[in-house]
Amino acid sequence: MAALCVGLAAAGCSGSDTGSNGGAAAKAESGAVTISYAIWEKPQLATMQKIAAKFHAENPKITVDIQLTPWEQYWTKLQTSLKGGSGADVFWMNIPNLKKYANGGVLMPIDAYVDRDKVDLGNYVPAVMDAYKFKDHVYALPKDVDAIALWYNKELFKQAGVDYPTADWTWDDLTAAAQKLTDPAKGVYGIAAPAEDQANYDNTILQAGGQILSADGKKSGLDSPEAIRGLQFWVDLINKYHASPSLQQMTDTDSEQMFTSGKVAMYYGGSWTVLDMKAIPEAKRFADVAPMPHDAQHYSVSNGLGMVINSKTKHPDAAWQWVKYLGGKAAAQMQAETGTVIPAYKGMADAWVKSSPEFNLQVFVDQLKYAQPLPSSIDTPAWRDPAAAELAKAWTGSASVEDAARKAAQIMNDALAKEGS
Amino acid sequence: MADAVAATGSQKLPRWRRDLWVHVVLMLGAVLMISPFVLEVVTSVKTFAQATHTPPSLVPHPFHWGNYKDVFESLPFGRQLLNTVVMTLARTLGQVLLCSAAGFAFARLQFRGRGLLFGLFLSVLMVPSQLFLLPNYEIMQHLGLLNSISALWLPGIFSAFGTFLMRQFFLQLPRELEEAARIDGANPLQVYWWVMLPLATPALMALAILTAIWSWNDLLWPLIINTDPSKMPVSAGLAALQGGAPHQLSRPDGWLAPSQPADDRAVRDLPAPCPRGHRVHRSQGLATALTP
Amino acid sequence: MTVTEQHQDHPGTGSRTSLRPEPPSRSGLRRQDAMWATVLIAPTAIGLLVFSIWPTLLTFYYSFTSWGAFGGHTWAGLENYTQLLHDSELLQSLVNTAILSLITLLSVPLGIVVAALLHRPDFRLTRFYRTVYFLPAVTLPASIALMWRLVYNGDFGPLNWTLSLVGIDGPSWLADSHTAIYALGVVSIWGSIGYNMVLFLAGMQAIPRDYYEAAELDGAGSISQFFQITVPLLTPTTFFVTVITVINALQAFDLVFLMIGKTNPALEKSQTVVYLFYEKGFVESQGGYAAAIAFVLLAVILVFTAVQFRMQRRWVHYG
Repeated sequence: MAALCVGLAAAGCSGSDTGSNGGAAAKAESGAVTISYAIWEKPQLATMQKIAAKFHAENPKITVDIQLTPWEQYWTKLQTSLKGGSGADVFWMNIPNLKKYANGGVLMPIDAYVDRDKVDLGNYVPAVMDAYKFKDHVYALPKDVDAIALWYNKELFKQAGVDYPTADWTWDDLTAAAQKLTDPAKGVYGIAAPAEDQANYDNTILQAGGQILSADGKKSGLDSPEAIRGLQFWVDLINKYHASPSLQQMTDTDSEQMFTSGKVAMYYGGSWTVLDMKAIPEAKRFADVAPMPHDAQHYSVSNGLGMVINSKTKHPDAAWQWVKYLGGKAAAQMQAETGTVIPAYKGMADAWVKSSPEFNLQVFVDQLKYAQPLPSSIDTPAWRDPAAAELAKAWTGSASVEDAARKAAQIMNDALAKEGS
Repeated sequence: MADAVAATGSQKLPRWRRDLWVHVVLMLGAVLMISPFVLEVVTSVKTFAQATHTPPSLVPHPFHWGNYKDVFESLPFGRQLLNTVVMTLARTLGQVLLCSAAGFAFARLQFRGRGLLFGLFLSVLMVPSQLFLLPNYEIMQHLGLLNSISALWLPGIFSAFGTFLMRQFFLQLPRELEEAARIDGANPLQVYWWVMLPLATPALMALAILTAIWSWNDLLWPLIINTDPSKMPVSAGLAALQGGAPHQLSRPDGWLAPSQPADDRAVRDLPAPCPRGHRVHRSQGLATALTP
Repeated sequence: MTVTEQHQDHPGTGSRTSLRPEPPSRSGLRRQDAMWATVLIAPTAIGLLVFSIWPTLLTFYYSFTSWGAFGGHTWAGLENYTQLLHDSELLQSLVNTAILSLITLLSVPLGIVVAALLHRPDFRLTRFYRTVYFLPAVTLPASIALMWRLVYNGDFGPLNWTLSLVGIDGPSWLADSHTAIYALGVVSIWGSIGYNMVLFLAGMQAIPRDYYEAAELDGAGSISQFFQITVPLLTPTTFFVTVITVINALQAFDLVFLMIGKTNPALEKSQTVVYLFYEKGFVESQGGYAAAIAFVLLAVILVFTAVQFRMQRRWVHYG
C-alpha cells in the first residue's frame, strides 16, 4: 500500500526552481523553437496559457503552442500521431495509460535530465511520482493529484432534518441518510450512485478490504467477496433502497449535473469538480464537501496527471525545459492559487485549499492520506472499459452483482494474460 | 412552351386552395424537423437548473447568456473559418470536376472492363472511412503534408460517391442529344464539356452542396491530421470547446456551441425546384460549331 | 400507354425502339471511346487507388496480424477471424446495425414524397420548406447529438413530458437498452430526409416537363402523375439513394459515438459495427482484430450492394 502523505510545509526546493533558464539547453539548440503541448481539460486552459506565457518570458527562445483536444478524441489523436511518428512534443498522461505508452517506446525516459539538473523527485507526492516510473526509468514529472470526497447539499439536508456528514460516517450512516433525503414527490434523491470506477466503486472495493488488481498486477480482484461487497453497496442504493436515480437516468444527466441542480443531495466527486462548482452560483451557495464514509478501511483511489515527452521529439532539450518548468514550484503555485488542481508538488495543497474558501477543500487533501494510485497494468485500456461495461449490468439489474463481478474479473484476467505473453 | 399549365389552371380551384393540403403536410413535417433546434436554442439561454425544470418553459426567466460567452475565446476563429472555406471550396470544385468526368465516362462511353472498373469504384464506397484513417495518415506523412492546409482537402477531392451520383444522373438523360453531337463528329471530351455538363447542372449542384456539407462536418480527419490550431478548420476547433472532463459528457455550462454554419446559403442555392423547359434545340448542331 | 414502355431500352440490350440513324464506324468510335474514358476516369481512379484501395488492401493484410499499440505487428494467421466467430459483442453489433439500417431506409420514401411535393409548378414557400428540411444536414453532428439528448432525456425531456400528459411514463430513451437503437433510428431518419430530398429534386429536374403536360391534358391528377411519371422515371436516382442510404447506415458511427457513449448501459444493444471497430482499434489497441471486424462489415455491405445491383434490373429504368 503506497499511502501518500502530503507535506503541508513547503518542501525545500532544490534545483527545479524558476530562476534557472537552462543555459545548456539554450546553447545546444540554436535559434528559436516551438514546443507543442497537448492537453485535454478545457477548464485548465487559461491557467496553462498563463504558465506558458511566463515560461516564454523567462526562456525567450522557446515558444509553447498549447493544443487542446477534447477527451473524447484525445487518445485517438495521440495514438495515431505517435504511430505516425509525429505528435506533440510534450503531452499529458494519466496513470492508467502510462505503462502502455512507456512500454510502446513512444515516451522519452527523463532520468538523464533529472540527474543532470538535479531535480529532486522527493518534491512530489510519492504515489503519483511512483506511478510514472516504469522498468527503472522515470517518464514524467507529475502535474497534479486528485482525490474523491462526498459533496452534499446543505439546503436539502436542512429541509430533511438530517445532520451534515462527518468524518465518522460509515457506509450505513450514508445509506440511512440517503433514504431520509429521498423525496419522490419532489423528484429528489438522497445520493447519486453511478457505475463509475474512479469516483465510486474503486473506492468502496478498497474500503471493504478488496483489491481491483493484485499487487503483482497479474490477477483481477473484482470477484473477491470484499470487492463484491464494495459493488453491492452502490447497487443496493439504487435497487434496494431506491435512494438513487437509476443508472439510465444518470446516463441522461450525469451525477454532477443532478447535484448542482438540486436533484440529488449527495454525490462522490473528484477534486477536479471544484472549478465547476465555483462556476455555478446556486451550487456555490448550497454545496460543501465531507470525507468519504468508510467501511473496514478508509482507502480511496487517486489519479494524477504527468507531463511526458514524445520519444521522437525534434527538440528534446527544449521539451525538457518546458516539462521541468511545468513540474516546478512556480507552475504548481499558479495551478494551486487559481483553484485549478491540487498540484503534485508537495507543500502546495494549502494554497489550493485557500483558493476556494466557500468549500471545505481540506477534506480532499486529508483524503490523500488514504489514497493509492488507480489500478493500472501494461495495457489498462484493454480491460478498463470492457470490465466497467460488464459491471454496469449489476446496476441496471440485468445481472446479479456476483455474476457481473465474475464476468468482469474474467475479462480482466484474459487481458492480463495477454500482456504477459 | 411550358405555358400550357397556366391555361389549365384557370378552370380549376384557385392555386392556394389546390395546394392547401400540401402545405398542411409539409408544415407538420417542418415542425417535426425544426423542434429539436428550437429546443436547443431555448435551452442555450437557460441555466442548467432552468433547463431541468418541468414542465419545460419556452421562455427562460431570466435569460442566461453565459453559455455563449466563451465560445469565441481561445480559438483563432477567423483563421479557422478561412481554412474551412479553403478546404470546402477545394473539395467541392475538385469533386464536381473529377466526379462528373468519371461519371460521364462510366455512363456513356463503351470500353472494355467498364463493369469491372465501376465495381471497383463502388467497392470503395463500401469501406467505412474510419478504416482509411491510419493508412491515410501515413501516406500524408510520406508526402510531407502533415499539418498543412493541403492535407485537409487532398484526399477529399476523389470520391466514389460523387462518381456514382453523376453516373446515375447521366444515365437518366435522354441519348438523342449526345448522339446528335457524336454524329456531327464531336469527340467524347467535347460532348462531355459542351453538351452534358450544362444539362447536368442540377446534379452538379446537388453534389456540390453535399460535398460542401460533408466538408463542413468533417471532424476526425482534420483533427488528427493537423495539430496546429491555425491549420484546423472550424469543426475541429469547435470540438475542442465541447470537450468535457473525462468524467462527464456534457457539462452545465458549455452546453452549447454554435451548430450551424452561419449562413444558409448552401440551402438557398439548392437546385430550383421548378424545372426549366427541356429544350433540345439549343445543342443541336452545337458540335459542328465547335469542331474546327 | 404508360411512360415506362417508352423507357425500356436498357444499356447493353441493344434493342433500339426509336428509329435513329446508326453512327458511322462503330469500332472506330469504340477505340476512341476507350482512350477518352481513360483520360476522364484516370484522375479519380488514381486518387482512389492511393487514398482508398491501397489502404484497404493494407488493412486486409493487417487483419491477419497482431498489433502492438504503436505500430509493429506479427503474423497471426487466422487468429483474428477465429476470435470473431466467438464474439457475441460483434454479433449483437451486426444486429444493431441491421436494425438501424432498416429504420433509416424509411427516409427514402419520405425523401421522395417531400421532393415531389416541393416539385410542383408555381408552389409557394418552397425555399422555406427546403431550408427547414435540409437544416439537419448542415448541422454539426456534435450539435445534433446535443439537441436529441435533450429531447430524449428521461427526466425532463419534452418527449417524456408530452407522454406524461397522456399518462405514459417514458423511459430514458438513450440509456435504456430496449429503446436506444430505435431512438438512434429516428435521429438517423431525421438527418437523412433533407439529404435525400436534395438528390431527388436533382433527379426530378431531369424529367422532361412535357410528360407532365401531356398527362395533365389527359386529365391525370397530381397523385396519378406522381405514380405514373415521377416514380418510374426517377428510378435511377431512387436506386442511387437507396444504395447510398444503406451503405451509410451500415457505416453509422457518429450517432453512437456522440449520443450513446462508452459508459452507457445501453451501449451493447446499440453500438454499431464501426463503433466496435473504432473501440477495438483506437481504444483497446487491437489493430489486427479491428481490421478483421472491418472486413466482416465490408463483406456484409458487398453482399447487400450486389443484391441491390442484381435487383435493379427489375425496377430501374434508364433513359
